[in-house]
Amino acid sequence: MERLNPRIRVVWLFLAVFRAGIVGGFLVGAALVLSETGLWANSPDLLVPGAIGLAVTLGLVRVAVAWRRYAVWRFEVQDDGLYIERGVFTRIKTVVPYVRVQHVDSRRSPIERTTGLATVVVYTAGSRSADVAIPGLTPERAEQLREDLRRLAIESEGEDAV
Amino acid sequence: MKKLHPLSIAVRSISRSVNVGLLFFIAGVFASPGGAGGTLVSVGGMVLLGIVVAVVYEVAYYERFRYELTADTFDVASGVLARRDREVPLRRIQNVDVRQPVLSRLFGLAAVHIETAGGGQTEVSLQYVDEEEARRLRRQLRRGARAEDDEDEESASETRDSSPDDEEELLFEIEPRELAILSVFTIDPGASLLGGIALSFLSGFDPTTLIPADLVDGLPGAEGGLVALAWLVVLFLLAAWVVSAVLTFNRYYGFRLTRVGDELYYERGLVQRYSGTIPLEKVQTLTITERVPFRWFGYGALAVETAGYAPGQGSRGTESAIPLAGYDRVVRLARSIEPFGEVDLEAPPKRARERYGVRYLLVVGTLVAAGYLLTTATALERGYLPAVLVVLVPVAAHLKWRNRGHQLGDRYVFTRTGFWNRTTKVVPYYRVQAVLHTQSIFQRRRRLASVTADTASSASLLGRAATAYDVDDESGLEMQLEIEERLQERLRARKRERTVGEWFGGQNESTGLEPNSDTPSDNSEEFER
Repeated sequence: MERLNPRIRVVWLFLAVFRAGIVGGFLVGAALVLSETGLWANSPDLLVPGAIGLAVTLGLVRVAVAWRRYAVWRFEVQDDGLYIERGVFTRIKTVVPYVRVQHVDSRRSPIERTTGLATVVVYTAGSRSADVAIPGLTPERAEQLREDLRRLAIESEGEDAV
Repeated sequence: MKKLHPLSIAVRSISRSVNVGLLFFIAGVFASPGGAGGTLVSVGGMVLLGIVVAVVYEVAYYERFRYELTADTFDVASGVLARRDREVPLRRIQNVDVRQPVLSRLFGLAAVHIETAGGGQTEVSLQYVDEEEARRLRRQLRRGARAEDDEDEESASETRDSSPDDEEELLFEIEPRELAILSVFTIDPGASLLGGIALSFLSGFDPTTLIPADLVDGLPGAEGGLVALAWLVVLFLLAAWVVSAVLTFNRYYGFRLTRVGDELYYERGLVQRYSGTIPLEKVQTLTITERVPFRWFGYGALAVETAGYAPGQGSRGTESAIPLAGYDRVVRLARSIEPFGEVDLEAPPKRARERYGVRYLLVVGTLVAAGYLLTTATALERGYLPAVLVVLVPVAAHLKWRNRGHQLGDRYVFTRTGFWNRTTKVVPYYRVQAVLHTQSIFQRRRRLASVTADTASSASLLGRAATAYDVDDESGLEMQLEIEERLQERLRARKRERTVGEWFGGQNESTGLEPNSDTPSDNSEEFER
């Protein structure tokens, strides 16, 4: 079983903090507006501290989930298919047979480029698993994986999927 | 290159005028400055302008629209402002549907819709051609796909392919009794809205007359507003029910399913006519549904899923092969499409039932808490009453558990779930796209898991994929492995068949018996059992 590159934690933690910041900003901002402008005439004193506390808690949960996600994520290029294990709360184990691979992408978002990582996306014709993404790969590994999957998909010589 | 039927300008104009005219009517109402006379003239002017724009557009649309059926593609050139040339390979076509709404039916026209697997909407719509042309296209589109290998033997293929037409085999025809049961018990989602409208029309838009005062007076407690309200609800439900029955009756009137060669052909409808083909070689999944009132009468429904329909097409996502019939008949027909053997489903482990019990207890707990909050905030009393529902929890948990099951057959995966709407899915292994093993935190606590055999069926987009819920997590992993192995095995078997078919197909081609080895061999392999 192959693990992701540990640097993916940086990406996930950054995203977690960033998103938590946005949500927390809204929460605290709304609380401030409500208590300061007098829209809510006799708002409880704990409103603003409560909102800050909630925002911080949510942020911590997000960070914990992002950290844990790395520990759970695994994938393996098996004989007949690509095997992926992921999910912090709902754990998902997916098998994508190479016969069913429609096309393979590798992509790099700005944050992935700054951390020197890449994502490989595998597309099938299925309705639920239409795209399976493997994040946290070094560009070389991503390139190699994409090439391997392409070769395996061609070798498997599937008939028409639909 | 062919054009649409000239009368399609009229039909399209009328239906578009209604839309555009309405839009311009609203625009006119807003744009016109005060003054009653001026308003009327300007609104009328705007409506007229809207209609003219619509008609001009439709004439241009008609002039620009060209289609052609070639030996292996269907080509369409269309577009008034942005032009588009589209070529659909015939062997990629999934479904062909012919629809005749009221207006076009009056003119003897029909709309032809062609679906392929990709894309977010119907790939080709011909609105409208005459009925004869629609029939011809429906046949030729599939025939062309079959006869694609021997374009030069045009005449030979003509004679050969006309033969299956003669042996049109009637698979199912809805009986008046079945149609009646279906109409009475089906709840059409649009009916409640229409029912409300019908009710308000009947009462002349006056909400107070909605409640028949003379009837209410004779009943005890009529002085209270609650009884009047109850009456309103009853009347509304009644109206919705009647409308729903009428809509369902109209929809499934004269439902027929026939089999011509290697495809199914359905037709239905009283006022509007719908018909279409479902190629058997494109079938992804069979779904047998037994809704609660129907199941008690021993009835079920069958839907044949292909990859053809786009997401968001609602209940039309799959055309039902059988809207309602005796369960035995449904299974027999399903077997004639995919010859699966005895179905002997394995129930989830007993601890799954405990899980459902806990889940329902939590629901009841939430209700009691809500009731408690209501009693503290309002004058209502006895907020603990929902606690009575606890009695139902074991029953509900048991029923949920009993109606779930799965089986890995020789060539098919079977999954079943749902008490109210018991759905059994039959998925051929070679249609599986990916296998998912999912475990929520609650499932992990009880060492349970759900295994989904994902296919390209478009109906699964609505969250109804073939999933075996709450199996033991270890055996779930084994199931995942086995489905994957069987998929590979079936694919190898099919490949062997295909190669053999090609050899014999090559021989047959010279004798003119088997036009294309691809499709018939694929099916014969499945039917030999």
